[in-house]
Amino acid sequence: MSATTSTTMFPKTRKLAWLMHLFLIGYSLLILLPLTWVVMGALKTNREMFTDPIALPKDPNWGTFITAWDDGVRDYFFNSVIVSGFSVALIVVISAMAAYALTRLNFPFRRGLYLIIILCFAIPMHAVLVPIYVLLSDFGLLNTHAGLILPYAAFGLPFSIILMYSFFYEFPTELEEAAKLDGCGPWRRLWHVVLPLSKPILVSVAIFNLVSIWNEFLLATIVMTSPEVQTLPLGLVRFRDQYATNWPGMLAAITIGSLPLLAAFVAFQKYFIRSMAGMGK
Amino acid sequence: MTELKIDGLVKRYGDAEVLHGLDLDVEGNEFIVFVGPSGCGKSTFLRSIAGLEDISGGTIAIDGTPINGLEPDQRGVAMVFQNYALYPHMTVAENMGFALKMAGVSKPDIATKVNAAAEILKLEPYLGRRPADLSGGQRQRVAIGRAIVRAPKVFLFDEPLSNLDADLRAHMRLEIIKLHRQQGAISIYVTHDQVEAMTMADRIVVMRDGYIEQVGSPLELYNNPVNRFVAGFLGTPKMNFLPARVTGLRDATATFEILGTSIAVEIVDGEALSVAEGAEIEIGIRADGWDVVAEGEGMAGQVVHAEQLGRETVTFVMLEGDTQVTMIQTGQHQLKDGEAIWLKPAAARLHGFDGNGLSLPIARQHATDA
Repeated sequence: MSATTSTTMFPKTRKLAWLMHLFLIGYSLLILLPLTWVVMGALKTNREMFTDPIALPKDPNWGTFITAWDDGVRDYFFNSVIVSGFSVALIVVISAMAAYALTRLNFPFRRGLYLIIILCFAIPMHAVLVPIYVLLSDFGLLNTHAGLILPYAAFGLPFSIILMYSFFYEFPTELEEAAKLDGCGPWRRLWHVVLPLSKPILVSVAIFNLVSIWNEFLLATIVMTSPEVQTLPLGLVRFRDQYATNWPGMLAAITIGSLPLLAAFVAFQKYFIRSMAGMGK
Repeated sequence: MTELKIDGLVKRYGDAEVLHGLDLDVEGNEFIVFVGPSGCGKSTFLRSIAGLEDISGGTIAIDGTPINGLEPDQRGVAMVFQNYALYPHMTVAENMGFALKMAGVSKPDIATKVNAAAEILKLEPYLGRRPADLSGGQRQRVAIGRAIVRAPKVFLFDEPLSNLDADLRAHMRLEIIKLHRQQGAISIYVTHDQVEAMTMADRIVVMRDGYIEQVGSPLELYNNPVNRFVAGFLGTPKMNFLPARVTGLRDATATFEILGTSIAVEIVDGEALSVAEGAEIEIGIRADGWDVVAEGEGMAGQVVHAEQLGRETVTFVMLEGDTQVTMIQTGQHQLKDGEAIWLKPAAARLHGFDGNGLSLPIARQHATDA
């Protein structure tokens, strides 16, 4: 009987697997082809670019990357690193502590507070762009790194807290009780027991926020008007105007701009997939 | 010699009182087992001693010093959890030494103590492994090792063997008892398994609904349960309960009628039955408290099924009025399903309970004094 079941089941499962692979291959191509085109384009000369945009570069010209880097990408890049780095660090630290307090400590209006945080998640940045601008201007934070870091952190927090909350909520209480008996107060429990076991969620919160902050354009345009503090997305636009005729240069700048995220994802893939698969566990 | 004294311990969750003024004195190196059905409060009682639950009233004192206001690690207690609660990101050695590290003990001292505990528990080959690479029994030993390393005055065990298979459980029972003797501290052990309670305890504390029903040695409780609950909870197979009526009361003898059969029992010297002639009572008969009698002499029944265990035979018998009882006989008895059988409770083994479920003072003979 089991033999008949498996013969009838097998083609069905295989068909589904085929379809899924087909879809995934198509989707990967959709992402990878333009990316390859960008990298290949950066290695071509401007003339090659126009005469044969699809072909492989005849004589890869790595110098384009150095030129682009020296021509201003470096400054944009480091501005992005500073802004993203501090924002992500703030988000991870604050959301971990907030979520831990919300799941473990007993204080008045705890549920209400959590509801407000969930509500904040529903507010798009565009809706409050003008008040944010006015606030930053009043505090003298326009054209400063802090002027981007603070709003980025604020907008990254709600979703991050929700993710961490569900993780801590299901964190085995016995481990923390064991830690209590071993002489740990709340801080030591968080530091020695809870955080080391929360790596997957910490990493996915960090990567999530890194991706959106690294690529953020709208707020950056209105806050950062002077070129020396601008981040990569703004820099690339500037580059487009400046290099209207130098396609390889612009493509090299784009490549440099995409590398850090790729590197971060490759390095932490394991945690990222694990936490996504477990919906924040 | 350690002394643990609990006085009027009350625990409330909001308006609901779950522990109702519990008293318990433990001295020396006793092995105490809290036993009771789920929800009876035994784990809450244990966790209150550990400091994982704040108590709402009463005191807990070790060697005369109240500890109920202290943090868990300041109480001189160590706990072994049901699910081991080992830190997955630490090695066995780090797990065992963590409390000492938190207390600021120097690294060489931690190593010495961890190695000593590992030697006792035969964990030396595993010190560098993570909990995930250990079997269930090994994890449980690490959890016990973590407690030993702290050299506590009181060991607390919260159903530590419930995740192990039957063979390993029997083995670990003995291991824990041996360790307890070696360590010379008080051990308090929570279980819902009455076999664990009977086999391990110096004294058993039987709990129900947040009250202590009875405290005593396993045999005291088995032979002289104070009420129907304790009688029914301890012992395998469970005690048989049958409705009965008091038909005669004369001097030190009472006569009960059980399913049409009359039985005379002796009353304990100096005691009196709390029930009058004609009162409805309940009779308790242990599975080994039956005599098989000749046809027509006792209660008529029919064999439902006989389990042949080789050393003994466990027989389920259906008596009149659809009452099924269990009987254990030593040795091998060939009983066929459906066969007619006549049973009579052994008068000297009988338990009686009044309308409130309290034990009647019936004189009994037990296996040892027969």
